[in-house]
Amino acid sequence: MSSKRRLSWAVIVLLLIFSGVLSILTGPGGFSYRILNQVLLFRLPRVLVGVVAGGVLAVVGGAFQGLLRNPLVDPWTLGVASGAALGAAFAIVTGTGSSVLLPVFAFSGAVLAIALVYVLARGRGGLTVIRLVLAGVIVSFFFSSLVMLVMVISHRSLGEAVYLMMGSLTVVFTRKSLGLFVISAILALAGCGWLMVHNRELDVISLSEETALSLGVDVQRLTRMVFLVGSVAVGLIIAWTGAISFVGLVVPHLVRMLFGPKHSQVLPGSFLLGAGVLLFADVLVRTLTPTGLPLSVVTALVGVPFFIYLLRTRV
Amino acid sequence: MRYSGCALWLIMLMVVNCGVHKERQIPEKRVKCVSLVPSVTEIIFAIGAEDMLVGTTNQCDFPPAAKEKTKVGDFQSPDIERIVSLKPDVVFATQPIHQRLIERLAEFKVQVYVSNPADVEGVFAEIESVGVILRRTKEAEKLVAALRRRLDSLPTFSYKPKVYVEISMAPLMSVGQGVFINDIISRAGGQNIFQHLNIPYPVVDPEAVVQENPDVILLLHPLANKDELKKRVGWSNINAVLSGRIYTGLDEDLFFRPGPRVVDGVILLARILHPERFR
Amino acid sequence: MKALTAEGLSFGYGNELIFDGFSLAIESGEFLGIIGPNGSGKSTLLRLLNGTLRPLRGVVNVLGKEINRLSRKEIAQTIALVPQESFFAFEWTVQEVVLMGRNPYLKLLERPRQEDLNKVAETMKLTGVQMLATKSINSISAGEKQRVLLARALAQEPQILLLDEATSHLDLAHQVALLQILKILNEQGKTIVLVSHDLNEAALCSRLLLLAQGKTIACDIPAKVLTPDLIRAAYGLEPVVTKHPCTGKPQVLFPPI
Repeated sequence: MSSKRRLSWAVIVLLLIFSGVLSILTGPGGFSYRILNQVLLFRLPRVLVGVVAGGVLAVVGGAFQGLLRNPLVDPWTLGVASGAALGAAFAIVTGTGSSVLLPVFAFSGAVLAIALVYVLARGRGGLTVIRLVLAGVIVSFFFSSLVMLVMVISHRSLGEAVYLMMGSLTVVFTRKSLGLFVISAILALAGCGWLMVHNRELDVISLSEETALSLGVDVQRLTRMVFLVGSVAVGLIIAWTGAISFVGLVVPHLVRMLFGPKHSQVLPGSFLLGAGVLLFADVLVRTLTPTGLPLSVVTALVGVPFFIYLLRTRV
Repeated sequence: MRYSGCALWLIMLMVVNCGVHKERQIPEKRVKCVSLVPSVTEIIFAIGAEDMLVGTTNQCDFPPAAKEKTKVGDFQSPDIERIVSLKPDVVFATQPIHQRLIERLAEFKVQVYVSNPADVEGVFAEIESVGVILRRTKEAEKLVAALRRRLDSLPTFSYKPKVYVEISMAPLMSVGQGVFINDIISRAGGQNIFQHLNIPYPVVDPEAVVQENPDVILLLHPLANKDELKKRVGWSNINAVLSGRIYTGLDEDLFFRPGPRVVDGVILLARILHPERFR
Repeated sequence: MKALTAEGLSFGYGNELIFDGFSLAIESGEFLGIIGPNGSGKSTLLRLLNGTLRPLRGVVNVLGKEINRLSRKEIAQTIALVPQESFFAFEWTVQEVVLMGRNPYLKLLERPRQEDLNKVAETMKLTGVQMLATKSINSISAGEKQRVLLARALAQEPQILLLDEATSHLDLAHQVALLQILKILNEQGKTIVLVSHDLNEAALCSRLLLLAQGKTIACDIPAKVLTPDLIRAAYGLEPVVTKHPCTGKPQVLFPPI
């Protein structure tokens, strides 16, 4: 590995550690050993959520970009976020939510959206990437307008809309829901593991459908599995955090700029960088605006300048 | 902000583009009005002027008779054509939600009264203003006097328990400065732990709630669940949780609608905060 | 054993059939050229032969086995396709592109082994792109790209090589160089199927298939196929056909314009 690469890996890992520590030190009342108990109960779970969310979103974003052969893709392109939003809206409006049921409803909504996209995209001749994207766009629009409808009918357009659209790492856990989150996280991480194991096939399929076929890749099966595994992993996470934008789109790009397009490096690199970036953005949100600027705004503010810098120096 | 009767007329004239058009002189006894604000609808009924009310929104649901009135759409987005077709002499609206509508109504030369009371005193002033517009000044004054009496009947509270108001669980949202409910809480003898935050509906850190250690918790959202809250990680040592003083199922309109029922809200909250004074 | 056979193939997009009951037999070690006007189905035929397109009816056999019974990896180890051009959405290096040709031999979690790297170096040397190894695939010329794609195809160690108008973006020198490589490979025993729009290039093949509208107009040695009558039947105009002064192979010249 060249020294430039080693340095890049080191920077990414350091950023993650730095952001994690910063996240633990940040909170009302700062940090002192007196409140260590409080810190562990509130800030440690937040770090866990941040690492898993940032990592999973970035990995799936990277995998989808390879699958769809397009660097402008993010995990939301294929419809999963709108499904989670609808599920959560339904739970909130019918009052059947709770710390456990709300994410369950959101995840169910996500699964519904995924299933709908899959069914719509399967035409004669099988699943193609173009059909996936079109189906994803259609389902996103449809579910988003349903969410608006639900919000208008129920006259609740306050906090829930922020959560559904823009995301937050601050999840209020009960013991039960924390356990459920850990299970979701493990499943989502397993999904990321699956994607990483298939890194070479993702490389090949990112060339073209035809080339991948003639190089021995079962394109139909891989397309279907990457879509399903990636979308479900994202659904498991955003059921808790809401849709955090930008991380899944930009982070894999940054990693490709540092390491090249091979998924054997892009996927793990995206996980670490995504986790670090998200935790850092969350710290910024909590220190600069104690009254809740949406996380997605800050992820954009953090990601874009860095992106511009890389674009100008390395391209 | 306080409106006195005369100042109100001046403001109305300023809001409308060029004063009162000759054909639209307000007739002697009956003033046709449309109310786009549920709290103003309540005021109109409370001062006995409901026969002048020709249009309301879908959200105007109190008193029950208000539901029978002709609807002009949603509170958030009323239908301007329907409003104008009812030929009202005055339209009651609020800012900032109805800002654009107010400007368009001015083009139609419809008079608009902008409702925006910031606290309980402001509500009283508004009742009086509405009374003046609808020629029910006597009834308005009587109503305000009665409400004041009920308020004054409350004892003074020297000890003010800390109150945490939760209006959303995901994300965790409370109420900050500039929200009506703060005045209700303080008149009921309590203090909102997030009153110092300078936006009306801040997203708050659960750690901050635990640090402030409220004595009473009000859950004002559909996902409210008292047992769930007690089980929240890290919340078990909050005073309110230890003492079980967590309240759900309250009528939110009593706290968020700046109408005559605010006094009911204050008294209800006072009973919750100081049960020992109401034996 | 025949390298590739197509029996009774029917295929079309939408409602129209391009091929209806088409059959073809390609011998092992053959150098077959496929020519014909635009829309005659040449590219489609290649893709039916390597299994990337499935016919509506009919059977394709590879080395005696039905192509449907083989896994994609097995097919990829036997047949390689060099496409006309390729779009790369990401900035792969030339070496990374050629290395993907080893995919059919690598198991899921396996990393490329020394033998894979050796093979890649070998094919890159053969097609003359070894100096471009670390360059981005999007930064090289069309001719160099074509040779990289050929190197990738050869890295699959195929017995059958299909080329889809592989020289259409190449200048004269590169075109000749590519044809020389193909000749060497054919002499080493590889079966080569070359789809070409250049009739004179096709004249180098051992056999020519003249296609028009999905039907075989002729399938014989170049001298018997590159005749004014047959070309008129397929292309609708009559060129002048002479012999190459050095090799004696038929050469097709423009009719007077």
